[in-house]
Amino acid sequence: MPRLFRILNAIYLMNSRLLNACEGRASDRMPFLPAIYEQKAWFVHSTPSIVCRDPELFTQALLAEFEIVRPDALTIGIDVYNVEAEAVGARVIYYDGEDPSIPAVDPDGTIFHGEEDIVNLRLPDPQKDGRMPLHLGVARRVLAKLGNELPVRGAVTGPFSLAAHLVGAEHLFMLTITHPALVKKLLRFSLEVAKEYSAAYVKVGCGVVIFDSQASPEILSPAMYRTFVLEPTKRLIDFIHSLGLRHVPLIIGGNTTKILDAYLETGANNILCDFSADVERFREQCSVTGRAFRRNIDTADFLTLSREDLIARAKKCIDESRGYPGFIFGTGVVPFGTPVGHFAILRNVLHEYAR
Amino acid sequence: MRELQDLADALINGYADRVSKLTNELLETGVEPQTILNEGLIAGMTVVGEKMRTGEMYLPEVLQSASAMHASLKLLKPHLVKEGVESRGKILMGTVKGDMHDIGKNLVGIMLQGAGFELVDLGLNVPPQKFVEAIGMHQPAVVGLSAMLTTTMLNMKTTIEAINNAGLRSKVKIIIGGAPVSQKFADDIGADGYARDAVKAVDKVKELLAA
Ligand code: B12
Repeated sequence: MPRLFRILNAIYLMNSRLLNACEGRASDRMPFLPAIYEQKAWFVHSTPSIVCRDPELFTQALLAEFEIVRPDALTIGIDVYNVEAEAVGARVIYYDGEDPSIPAVDPDGTIFHGEEDIVNLRLPDPQKDGRMPLHLGVARRVLAKLGNELPVRGAVTGPFSLAAHLVGAEHLFMLTITHPALVKKLLRFSLEVAKEYSAAYVKVGCGVVIFDSQASPEILSPAMYRTFVLEPTKRLIDFIHSLGLRHVPLIIGGNTTKILDAYLETGANNILCDFSADVERFREQCSVTGRAFRRNIDTADFLTLSREDLIARAKKCIDESRGYPGFIFGTGVVPFGTPVGHFAILRNVLHEYAR
Repeated sequence: MRELQDLADALINGYADRVSKLTNELLETGVEPQTILNEGLIAGMTVVGEKMRTGEMYLPEVLQSASAMHASLKLLKPHLVKEGVESRGKILMGTVKGDMHDIGKNLVGIMLQGAGFELVDLGLNVPPQKFVEAIGMHQPAVVGLSAMLTTTMLNMKTTIEAINNAGLRSKVKIIIGGAPVSQKFADDIGADGYARDAVKAVDKVKELLAA
């Protein structure tokens, strides 16, 4: 059966708006890809901590997202960034009862404390370890229901962000200067984890999206991005290509204008231009290199934003496309509790304004 | 003084061992600890702040400088205490409940220490009650709250309310920061100040304490 879904999903992909954008073709309107993770739990009136551990609710949440948002692709993942780290042994903090806080790796629950720990790192088995099997199961169920409607992608943590979770963010940043060779070893390990998990997703018939926001120039210098992150990222994307996926999105948040060259060198054909990044530069360089990019609108004030302001923000974003066919309309991470009406408003603007 | 400039330079370059060695040498030659602090460490960290702002230094480099600063502060502290040199003021910092982002908050803490303030860091995911207890225990002049999520910034309000209810609001100035918050939000929830980044946070704290 997975093979059938895979074929169906592949056929659908051929006609999707997202595929058109990736291949530089215009569609009836630009693709709509809001970043929905913890908000998935809101759609089923539950909390992120509950839904991310319950395959039934998780699946329902994705189906609800499809109904409510009508995006041009779905992403399997609520507390993205935690899953791989947890599967190799890091401790994740979950919240009880109605607490809507979002699970994250416990800073005291990392698994790498010093050089001697490198030998203890072991690759996870995606069929067994942590919540990897749960995510793959949800992917299967969602594909079974929606595989012929839209592309479904699994969230995969990029090498640098995974290393940050295994080591602790600041500890890793320090090591880039004091122990660069060790950081490279750690990144080789993270790369192997990401390959395993990506392969497992591809096997069930999904695409993948790589997230690596901790390598953003908000934190890491462009020179360090080149020294440490570019190579393993490239290798991950080459590997995913070798599995038969042509289109690999790489999502790095924040203002990534300063690493745009390296970002494109990773081989990702679909990248993120966050709201703080220079959209002109992205459009220029993406059109020269034949890539698609998702432009985000800011979501920080989504809980209180008025309808008029939301419409104005969306129109401004659409204008920034200047008709570039590789332009994808996106949002920053949608805060938990965002009124569901926002999505209809955005869709309407796209429908009326972005043809 | 050339040696103080060397100390500042070593700090900017993040050479912890050299910073410790220079600190010891300066102390041995009888330079006042307060002078070492002001003209070595604080001068150096001010440059670090500038370089961060202009994009010449990024987090990994800043963390190296911070670790060099801490090495020197450890050596200076007993001397500062002995001579009755007071810190510029005590700051209590924490990331509010439900929020696991601490990179920005830590950077603010580093720059505040680099400007001569004493820091008590409560870490991340800090419930309102813990802030209240820590205010009672440490009696800070300023409380700094950090939040990076649209949802957790609402917990800043809850935290300020808890401080209020404990009757401690008039004893501290409260400053907030983090990507989703703004001056307007600070005004709305009754904070005394807001700053966009670590360098501005230092200016804001100085301003609040001067008022
Ligand atoms: C690193 C990071 C993480 C790391 C945090 C690691 C750590 N130890 O801190 C991890 C992976 C854990 C993480 C998790 C999540 N994250 Co996050 N994360 C980021 C990221 C990439 C960088 C933040 C950062 O460190 N910036 C660098 C520092 C130096 O800047 P800063 O934090 O803004 O701090 C400066 C100022 O804000 C100010 N400041 C900060 N605090 C204070 C305090 C005071 C008193 C003052 C005066 C000033 C001040 O000064 C600082 C220094 O200049 C941002 C996106 C981005 N590129 O900005 C997203 C981002 C903050 N995360 C986001 C989200 C949604 C999440 C998750 C919910 C994702 C998920 N679904 O799992 C989880 C939440 C987990 C939780 N419960 O908190 C969103 C928030 C959206 C929103 N508005 O709600 C962002 C904006 C990404 C996006 N584009 O949408 N994340």
